Amino acid sequence: MDITEAIQTAQDLLNLWTSGMSTPDLSRLDVVLAPKDLKPAVRILQKAHWGYLSAITGLDHPPLPASPDGKQPAKDGSLEMLYHFCEGAAILTLRVSAPYARPAIPSICDILPYATLYEREAIEMFGATFRGTPNTEHFVLPEDWPSGVYPLRKSFTGLNKPQKAN
Amino acid sequence: MEAKVSPQKFIVPIGPQHPALKEPGHFEFTVEGEIITGATVRLGYVHRGIEKSTEDRNWVQNLYLLERICGICSHIHATAYVLGVEALANVTAPPRAQAIRTLVCELERIHSHMLWLGVAAHEGGFDTLFMYSWRDRETVMDLLEGLSGNRVNYSVNVLGGVKIDVDEKQAATIRKGIDFLEGRTQYYMKVVTTDETFLGRTRNVGTMTYDQADALAAVGPTARASGIARDVRADAPYVAYPDFPIKVITERGGDLAARFVVRINELYESYRLVREILDKLPVGELTTRVPRRIPENEAISRVEAPRGELFYYLKSNGTEKPERIKVRTPSICNWATVMNFAIGLKLADMPMILAGIDPCFSCSDRAVIINRKSQSQEWSWEDLRQYGIKYYR
Repeated sequence: MDITEAIQTAQDLLNLWTSGMSTPDLSRLDVVLAPKDLKPAVRILQKAHWGYLSAITGLDHPPLPASPDGKQPAKDGSLEMLYHFCEGAAILTLRVSAPYARPAIPSICDILPYATLYEREAIEMFGATFRGTPNTEHFVLPEDWPSGVYPLRKSFTGLNKPQKAN
Repeated sequence: MEAKVSPQKFIVPIGPQHPALKEPGHFEFTVEGEIITGATVRLGYVHRGIEKSTEDRNWVQNLYLLERICGICSHIHATAYVLGVEALANVTAPPRAQAIRTLVCELERIHSHMLWLGVAAHEGGFDTLFMYSWRDRETVMDLLEGLSGNRVNYSVNVLGGVKIDVDEKQAATIRKGIDFLEGRTQYYMKVVTTDETFLGRTRNVGTMTYDQADALAAVGPTARASGIARDVRADAPYVAYPDFPIKVITERGGDLAARFVVRINELYESYRLVREILDKLPVGELTTRVPRRIPENEAISRVEAPRGELFYYLKSNGTEKPERIKVRTPSICNWATVMNFAIGLKLADMPMILAGIDPCFSCSDRAVIINRKSQSQEWSWEDLRQYGIKYYR
């Protein structure tokens, strides 16, 4: 499969669920999904044998206060998980967002068992919650790491310093 | 991937300390007699918070930080990073710089594979091969030092190019070193494919079939030894690989022996590539300008590290510092594979099987065999290694 063909196939496969698609460059396709659509999307990619899950990147979007001029309303904080799938040179990124208040995203470990390491990392680094993930033990952080402290959130500035209000 | 805790079974925790290898990791193998029934991994003993640290440093400082993620494949981390930053800033390094990056990538792969060959042989009790390969590896270390001034963390890359050049004298030295290594590699190939005692420890041991490797998303030589032709250098060529294409080396066996053969064959491919790059080194500038502030953007950079696909995700926010950098190293993928295919194998084979994926971790100096009910017995990694060697005597 060459790049355009791979991207086209992915577009066709995921058309049903997506709430937004973009191609940031020739080799990439970004697909925005609602959390409930993640598992069906991953299942269809696996069934069609489209690439493999190369990584899960977590992003923190901290809450934003309303701008003084009132043009931008206040925004709640949210987490975004990027599921990067690679097929040859083509990279498909499934983007799933969950607000801090309801951080649960379905686990994909029942479809791709090797995703557990990435999910464990996102749980301890970002405070993400994966519904149905088989193992929630620490993966890289020490056992005595304080609970509820997520180092890759923007509000984390170090253990001995006061945390930024969030 | 999960170790089910049951009072009847033995759990063998291995790790995390090991002063001789690179990085510590902790494994727990559940065993019934000699056979492994479950395996789980715990990392983080050398977790340094590098991803978080990048958000507090500017784009140039991060190059030096990220190059220090790994002491073995430092150049490939720097390469993945500079390619990502160059994509964000929409600049391309000049052809000569790309060729020199490729040259160092391949020299680094040679040193990494030879280091692995020694470690893997040592874990199996073949210390002669270990001593030979590490002695010969000094040749390529000297070549890298001659080029860059450093044995590790070569610091060849800068944003927008490279900071070293290759002159004719250096090229001649490299050619001579590569000729010597090629001869030695023929000897290694002979040993690992014909020595009966060696094959006794590697043939049909730790076999991962094509379907397993595919389902577990294995990468690098571990995947290629199971017949999966997956190599970022060929799939999505970067730096100078479009001009210097590589042949993807695969084997069908999927066992430890195949992993040896794949890596040794990759050495030949690297020698060929190094010679070709030296012969056809493009003429021109070494750097191009990269702005200090990078507009808001996202980039993904994938490269083929000696152990497999290395994945970088970079997000810029218009300032001098990145918004987020995510690094996924190939060993993460291959740990997931070994934790799965370890089930059903013999404990005595684990030292070589763990070494067989060329993990960028070190295992253990202290393993404890615990019977949850009564007795416990402490083992070191050395004990486990010796146990493996004696088991096959």
